[in-house]
Amino acid sequence: MPEVVQATNSPIAVTPKKDNEWLLIIKRLLRNKLAFLGLIIIILQIAMALLAPIIATHDPVKQDLSASELPVFSEDHWLGTDNYGRDVWSRIVYGSQISLLVGIVAVVLGLLGGVTLGLLGGYYKKLDGIIMRFVDLLFSFPGILLAMLIIAVLGTSLVNVAIAISIWSIPSCARIVRGSVLSIKEKEYIMAMKSVGASDLRIMIKHILPNCFAPIIVFATMRMATAILSTAALSYLGLGAQPPTPEWGSMISQGQAFMWSSPHLTIVPGIAIMLTVFAFNVLGDGLRDAIDPNMNV
Amino acid sequence: MVGFIFRRFFQLVILLFGISFLVFSSMYLAPGDPASMIGGPTASKEDVEAIRDNLGLDDPFLTQYGRYVVDLVQGDLGYSYQNQQSVAEAIGVRLPNTLKLAIASMIVAIVIGILTGLISALKQNSWLDVGSTTFALAGISIPNFWMGAVLILIFSVNLQLLPVGGLSSPWYTIEGIKELILPAITLGTGAAAMIARMTRSSMLEVVRADYVRTARAKGVKEREVIWIHTLKNAMIPVLTVIGVNFGSLLGGTIITEKVFAINGVGRLMIDAIAARDFPMVQGSVLLVATLFVVVNLVVDVVYTYIDPRIKYQ
Amino acid sequence: MRKKLLAILAVFTLMIVSACSSGNEPASGEGEGNGKIDTFTYASLSDAVGLSPIMTNDSASANVTDHVYEKLFDRNTETMEIEPKLAESYENPDENTWLIKLKEGIKFHDGTDFNAEAVKYTFDKLRDPETAAPRASLMEPVESINVIDDYTVEIKTKYPYGPFLAALSHSNAAIVSPTADKEGDLNKEPVGTGPFKFAKWVPGDQVVLEANEDYRDGAPAIQQLIFKVVPEISTAISMLQTGEVQFIDNLPMEQIERIESLKNVTVEKVDGTPEYYFSVNHGKEEFQDAKLREAFASAIDRDAVVSKMNGLGIRSDSVIGPKVFGYVESAAEAGTPYDLEKAKSLVEENGFGEKTYKLLTPNRSNFLLMAEIVQAQLSEAGFNIEIESMEWASFLDTARQGNFDLTFLSWSNLTADGSELFYPNFHSDNVGASNRAQYSNEAFDQLVDESRTTTDQDKRLELLDQANRLMLDEDAVVIMYHSIVTAAMDQSYEGLLLEATGKWNLSEVTRK
Repeated sequence: MPEVVQATNSPIAVTPKKDNEWLLIIKRLLRNKLAFLGLIIIILQIAMALLAPIIATHDPVKQDLSASELPVFSEDHWLGTDNYGRDVWSRIVYGSQISLLVGIVAVVLGLLGGVTLGLLGGYYKKLDGIIMRFVDLLFSFPGILLAMLIIAVLGTSLVNVAIAISIWSIPSCARIVRGSVLSIKEKEYIMAMKSVGASDLRIMIKHILPNCFAPIIVFATMRMATAILSTAALSYLGLGAQPPTPEWGSMISQGQAFMWSSPHLTIVPGIAIMLTVFAFNVLGDGLRDAIDPNMNV
Repeated sequence: MVGFIFRRFFQLVILLFGISFLVFSSMYLAPGDPASMIGGPTASKEDVEAIRDNLGLDDPFLTQYGRYVVDLVQGDLGYSYQNQQSVAEAIGVRLPNTLKLAIASMIVAIVIGILTGLISALKQNSWLDVGSTTFALAGISIPNFWMGAVLILIFSVNLQLLPVGGLSSPWYTIEGIKELILPAITLGTGAAAMIARMTRSSMLEVVRADYVRTARAKGVKEREVIWIHTLKNAMIPVLTVIGVNFGSLLGGTIITEKVFAINGVGRLMIDAIAARDFPMVQGSVLLVATLFVVVNLVVDVVYTYIDPRIKYQ
Repeated sequence: MRKKLLAILAVFTLMIVSACSSGNEPASGEGEGNGKIDTFTYASLSDAVGLSPIMTNDSASANVTDHVYEKLFDRNTETMEIEPKLAESYENPDENTWLIKLKEGIKFHDGTDFNAEAVKYTFDKLRDPETAAPRASLMEPVESINVIDDYTVEIKTKYPYGPFLAALSHSNAAIVSPTADKEGDLNKEPVGTGPFKFAKWVPGDQVVLEANEDYRDGAPAIQQLIFKVVPEISTAISMLQTGEVQFIDNLPMEQIERIESLKNVTVEKVDGTPEYYFSVNHGKEEFQDAKLREAFASAIDRDAVVSKMNGLGIRSDSVIGPKVFGYVESAAEAGTPYDLEKAKSLVEENGFGEKTYKLLTPNRSNFLLMAEIVQAQLSEAGFNIEIESMEWASFLDTARQGNFDLTFLSWSNLTADGSELFYPNFHSDNVGASNRAQYSNEAFDQLVDESRTTTDQDKRLELLDQANRLMLDEDAVVIMYHSIVTAAMDQSYEGLLLEATGKWNLSEVTRK
C-alpha cells in the first residue's frame, strides 16, 4: 500500500488566516482541471450515498437465484446482477455509503491519534523522544500486516477495519503535525502567550492547532484515498465487510471467481473504487498546490 | 556520521523489541490456537493437549515471551510451531524472491514515476501534464489484486507472452526477467504515482529557485539547466519518497506474492498468521521492519552525498 | 544522474523487448518418446507442513507422503473396498486381536528392510505421547503391538474396534523407515516404500520427488513429480491453461465451467465423501427447542444451494453420505423437507423472529456461498440472521469453544466410514474438540459406541443407519450437500487415480 510521504527537514506550510486568502485558494483550486474533476466526482459520490434509497433500483441484498449473473444492460438491471441475482447498480450505490463512511471514520480516528501525538511530541520536548519512537514503530510495520493482526485480535468487521486503517495513518499524520508545531512554537506570539501565563492546552488548541489545518486537510483528503483502497485490499483477504454488505472491495473479491464468465462483477466495482480513489488523490494534490506547493504532505 | 549510524542501529534494536512485543501479544490475544491448527479439524482433545504441551503453549504469556526474547538476543529466531523448521532458514529461502520483486518494482516505479513527473513539471498545466498526472494517479488508484489478475489474463493467458506465476529462473536470465515483469508492474505502479507526484512538485520548486534563474540568465543551455541544475536538486525529496515507499512496497508484496505464486516473505507472513505459527510471524515481521529501517538509513546517508549541506550529528 | 536515468531506461526497454521477442517457452513435461514423462507438476494451494506421516495432518502434506510412503492397507479407488497394500493378509483370532501378515522382500528407499519391526516402530512412535503426533488418535484403541516373526505383526486392541482397517489405511498410518527416522528428520527427508523417492524440498515453493526405479510393481512413468505451491486458484488454473502445470485438484465451483472449456485439459469428477452441514449450537439451551430446529430445517432450501454449485454438489438429507459406509439409500429423504410456509408459521407462532442469531462461517468461498444463500432463506422465513465470517484459524477455535448460534461445518470423511464421521463430529466425548456442533445425545452416543466396537460389518451398518436417522429426526443438523470431488489434468496424460475422498495418486499416470 502506498504511504503518504514525508520528508525530513523541509519548510512547513502555514495555514492562511484571513477569509479572502481561503477564497483565493478555492479559486486557484477550481482553476486546476484535475482537481476540479476530482471535486465533481466526490460531490457526485456523496450525493449518491445520501440519495441511495432513491436512486437504487433494488434492495441491495435481495437475492434472486433465478436471475443470477445477468450481464450489463439487462432489462431491469442496467449493471447486471451478481452470482446471487442481486442488482449490481444498487449494490454499488449502497456501497458508496460504506466506502465513504469507513474512509471518514478511519481518517478521523487516524487524525485524532496522529494530531494528539504530533501536538504532544512537538510541544513537549520530554515526550518527543518516546512518541517519535512509537511513531517509528508503527511506521516500520507493513500497514496491511498491522491491519491483519488487529483484525485477527478484534475480529472481522467494518468497524475493526476502520480502526486498523486509522492506526495505520497515525504515524504519517503525527510526523506532519509535529513538524508544523515545531516551526510554529518558536514564533514570537506563542512565546508571548506563554509569558502571560496561557495554559499549554489553550495554546496548543487555540493557537497552534489552527496553524496546522492546511497540511491536515491535504493529508486527510489523500488519506481518504488510501483508506478506501485499503478497505478493498482487506476485503480481498476476506477481512473486510461481513456478507451480504455491499462493500466494493468484497464485491471485487467475490466477483473475481467469475472473472471469465461475468467480468462485469469485478470491473464495475473496480471502476467505482478507482474513480473514488482517483478523485480524492487529485483533489488532495490540487489542494496542496493551491495552498502551498511546497507543503510537506 | 559513524556515530549517527550507530545511534540509528541502537534505535533499531529498541524498535525491534517493541515490534516483537506487539506481534507476540497480538498473536497471543487473537483467537485460534497453534496446537489445534497443527492437529487439524480432526484432532482429538488428547492430541491437541499433547501438542500444546510439547510447544509449551500452556505457559503464562510472559514466560513464553521471555523465552522468545532470550533466544532472540542470542540471535536465534526460533523454530516453526508447524514443522520445527528453523525460522531463519525459512526466511532465508524466501527473502531473495521478495527482494527481487521489491527491487524490480522499485525500478518500474522509478522509471515511470520520474518520467511522468518530469513531463508534468516541464509542461506544467498543459494537457500533457494532466495526462501524465492522470496516468500516474490511475496507477495508484487500481487495487493491486485486481490489476494482477487482469494482467495475468491479458499477457499470460491471452497473449501468452509472459509466464503466469512463480520465480523459478535466476533474475539475470531472460526467463527470470520475464517472470518479474507482471508482478513488478502490479506492485510498482503505486509507488510510481508517489514518485511522480514528488518529482513534479520538487521540480517546480527548484525551477523557481534562484540558482536556476541565475543559470538561465547566464545563458546556460536549457537542456543543461534541466538535467544538471534542476534534476539533481529536485531528486533529494524524491529520494525520500523512494525510501519510504520501499517500506510500503515490502508490505505490498503480501498481496502480489499471493496473486503471482511467488514464494516470498510476504506470503510466509500470511500463511504463518493463518496457521498461528507465532515464531514464523515474529521472524518475518522483524525482518521486514529491519529492512525498512535499513533502507531509510541508507537513504539518509545517500543524502549527504547528494546534498553536502545536510549533516547528521 | 542523466547516465543513471539512461541506464534505467535501457534496462526497462530490454525487459519489454525480451518479453516480446522470445516466444513461448516449451511446456514442461516433454518426454523422449519412451513413455517416460520427464517432469509432471501439480499446483498445490499450500505448501506441505512436513513430509513425515507421523508429524503432519494436512492434505498438502498427505498429497506428498501418499506418493512416498505406503500403508498396510489401502482403499481401492473404484470399489472403495479396503485391500492389503504392504500387508499380505490379516485375520482376527479373537475380537481384540489383529494378526497381520506382511509382504516380503520390500525395501525402504534407504535400503532398510520392510518388516514387522518397522511396523511396530512406526505405530509405537505414532501413539507415543512424547511424539505429540497430530493423529495419535488413530492408534487410540491399540493396547499393544507385538512382533511375532519377521513378517507377522500382532496388534491387540483395548476393545473390539470396528473401523480399524479404515484407520490403518489412513495416510497418517503409513509405514516409515525406522533407520531413517532414527538417523534423520523424516519431516524434511522422507523415506518410505512408495513408488516415488524424495529428491528435494524448497519450503514454500516446491517439493520434488523422483521415480523409484526399484519399485516392486515397476517404476512410475513420471520421472520427476513436482508439487508446486500456487496459493491463488485462479493463477493455478491459468498455469494449467498455459502448460506451466499439468495437474490441479479441488476445482472451485465458480470456475468449473472455465476449466471445462479449456481445450488442453480433462476434468475428472467423482461422487465424493466430503460433506457440508448446517448446525445449531447444541450446547446452548435455546436450541434444545425441537420446534426451533425444525423451523431452521424447513426454512433452508437445500436444492437452491445445490443448484448454485455448478454440478459439484450431491443433494441428500442423509448425514452419512452416499459414498460413506453406513449409508442406506432411504436415508436420503429422511430429513425435514424444505417448506417455507411451515417455517414461516413456526417462526410466527413461537416468536423465533424476535432474536438475532449469529451465523458463524469461515471466510472460504464455498462456505460464504452457503452463508449468503441460507441467510437470505432464513430471513425469508422471518428469522433475523447476521453473518459472522472469520478466517479459518479463528473459526475453528471459535466453533470449538461453542461461541456461536448457528454455523456451517464440514468433514472430509477420509476413511469413508460412518463411525469415523459420527464419533469425532457428534459424540459427546469430543465436545470441546472436534464436535464443534456441541451435539450431545446419550442414545446417539450409545449407537456410535456400539458401531465402533463391533467388528460385524452388517451389524455396524444397521447401527450407523439408526444413528443417522436419530439425528435427522431431531433436525440435529441440516446436510447442505455432499461433494463431488474434482481434479483437472493436462489432456496429453491419463491414468489419474481420483478417490471419492478427494485424494489422488499419480503413480500410474502415463502419456496418452
